[in-house]
Amino acid sequence: MPLLALIDDDTEKLTRYLSQCSRTSGRVRGGPRIRCSNHQPIICKVFGGLLREEQPRLVWLRLLPCNFVKSHSATYDRRLTKAKEKRTLQQDEQRWRTAFEESAIGITQAAFSGHFLAANSVFQNMLGYTESELQGLTFLDITYEDDRQTNLELVNELIEGKRQHFEIDKRYRRKDGTLVWARANVSLVPGTDGVAPFWFGIVEDITARKQAEHALQITRAELARVSRLTTLGELAASIAHEVNQPLTAVTNNSNACLRLLANGKLEPEVLRQALEEIVANAVRASAVIARIRAFIRKAPAEKGELDINELIEEVLALTGHELYKNRVQVERQLTKPLPHVVGDRVQLQQVLLNLIVNGVEAMSTVTTELRMLRVQSQFDESGNVLVAVSDSGSGLGLEVDRIFTPFFTTKAHGMGMGLSISRSLVEDHGGQLWATPNAPHGAVFHFKLPIAARSRHD
Amino acid sequence: MTSGPVVFVVDDDPAVRSSLKFLISTVGLRVESFESADTFLAKEPALDEPSCLVLDVRLPGLSGLEFQRELAARNIRIPVVFVTGHGDIPMSVRAMKAGAVEFLTKPFRDEDLLDAIRIALARDRVWREKDKELTELQQRFQSLTPREREVISMVVSGMLNKQIAAQLGTAENTVKVHRSRAMEKMCAQSLADLVTMIQKLKSPSEKAS
Repeated sequence: MPLLALIDDDTEKLTRYLSQCSRTSGRVRGGPRIRCSNHQPIICKVFGGLLREEQPRLVWLRLLPCNFVKSHSATYDRRLTKAKEKRTLQQDEQRWRTAFEESAIGITQAAFSGHFLAANSVFQNMLGYTESELQGLTFLDITYEDDRQTNLELVNELIEGKRQHFEIDKRYRRKDGTLVWARANVSLVPGTDGVAPFWFGIVEDITARKQAEHALQITRAELARVSRLTTLGELAASIAHEVNQPLTAVTNNSNACLRLLANGKLEPEVLRQALEEIVANAVRASAVIARIRAFIRKAPAEKGELDINELIEEVLALTGHELYKNRVQVERQLTKPLPHVVGDRVQLQQVLLNLIVNGVEAMSTVTTELRMLRVQSQFDESGNVLVAVSDSGSGLGLEVDRIFTPFFTTKAHGMGMGLSISRSLVEDHGGQLWATPNAPHGAVFHFKLPIAARSRHD
Repeated sequence: MTSGPVVFVVDDDPAVRSSLKFLISTVGLRVESFESADTFLAKEPALDEPSCLVLDVRLPGLSGLEFQRELAARNIRIPVVFVTGHGDIPMSVRAMKAGAVEFLTKPFRDEDLLDAIRIALARDRVWREKDKELTELQQRFQSLTPREREVISMVVSGMLNKQIAAQLGTAENTVKVHRSRAMEKMCAQSLADLVTMIQKLKSPSEKAS
């Protein structure tokens, strides 16, 4: 049955309508709702093709029942949504791509094997490699040799699921061979269907920060040295005494021998004894000088195993005259033997020296009571050596919180750096330095340092 | 050697102490050494012979300067030679004012120390002679009768025999007798001699100078 036969309205009328709707030949859309005659009248949408000649001629016609349009709109919407989604996905992709490329921080993706898959321009510039060059390398290949082990350990912890991500400050070796300090934040993105697991890293160039830290470290070391020199200056009399005593013994013994020799009365046994004393005292004097020289040397910190008791004795010897001059009695409560600690001899001596000199100065105003400086050493179950220097001075009072602040001082001629420097030196050794009140008055300065690993097993 | 001058060395440093002992012994002096002022005071060594102290300023317990004061307080008179590892000017001034012979900074030249010891011993000898003389004078003075003492004190003050006689209400001749007896007992050769003796007796505090 021809389709047109079903339409009530005649073709001419329809053609006229269509020609009004569209002036161009070809496809037309829309149109009146029409009734089909032999059926239930239905309202259709009309689409038709007109050939515009002298008389426009309808060449094709499509009727779309309106209820059909309604029932199909859901599918239509779905299709619309899908298209929209595709667009959004493309936009997202674009957005992320831009973020990846334009980021001020290095971003990189690597296969589970460690080979780079992608790297943004910041990362490429940081290392001097192009993305395609990187794709032939693993992250370990470009990690500085000394940092590889630490890096690998952290990677293994990620693989074993011990952690979700890690952060590491490490050095990369650039293509040109130079080193660059970076802080890398790395996570392992688990695989999904069809996507293999991969590494995702955010890498920041921290070379400038590291250089600043290094410069700060040098400045701090220099400051510590200046502070040592200042303290030594205050102890000049004490040091002179320490050197003069043995020199006096040497001179006296030698002169006595010369006198006896001149008189022809020098007996071999007397000479032998005198020479032994001379040697012993020369050694004693040179030991004092070696101690001072070590103390003012400019060398970087050298950490080794140390007996804190030994250091305490050395510093007490160095401050002997200061203690004497200030009429301070020293009480030693040293635990022997004491497990060793790992540290720089000079730095730890400096800490002890600061605490002892401070204690002596704190007692300089005490006139009525005994001036007692107590130095204690012990160790605890949790693997620390504890040292306490107590004085019977005026105590810390309300200033207890401020004493560790740089440039805070209660002394007329103090620089206010002693305790601040001491605290940072102890902290550099993985320890702590703090103060408590002493009873009945005065202050106690404590510091603790971790016991050397080897000593723990002893 | 059980007689002759003695040098007492007080120094807390064993090496310095023994070296001082050795050095001083080379010039034939007896040396006794102590590690602190307290051990010296506790032992109270006999000071029968000319002696001196070689004292470290820095000592445990009593310091050298305090020891010097303590000796004065105990009326122990002994010349002191100070040695110190770190002499400062105020300290040496105090020591010298308190009568130290010398203040030497370690390490010192041996001649300086030995010279100082020689001077110290010489000073002690002089003190001892003066002491001896004074003791004799005192003994002589003690042997005078009250009247003789009265007369010579007036003589020394410049009064004439006549004036003394008038003041005492006695004859001039009696005064002359008292006076010549007193001169004889005091072993005074002349009036000037007597005046000197009486002055010495009057100011025994000067003996330490």
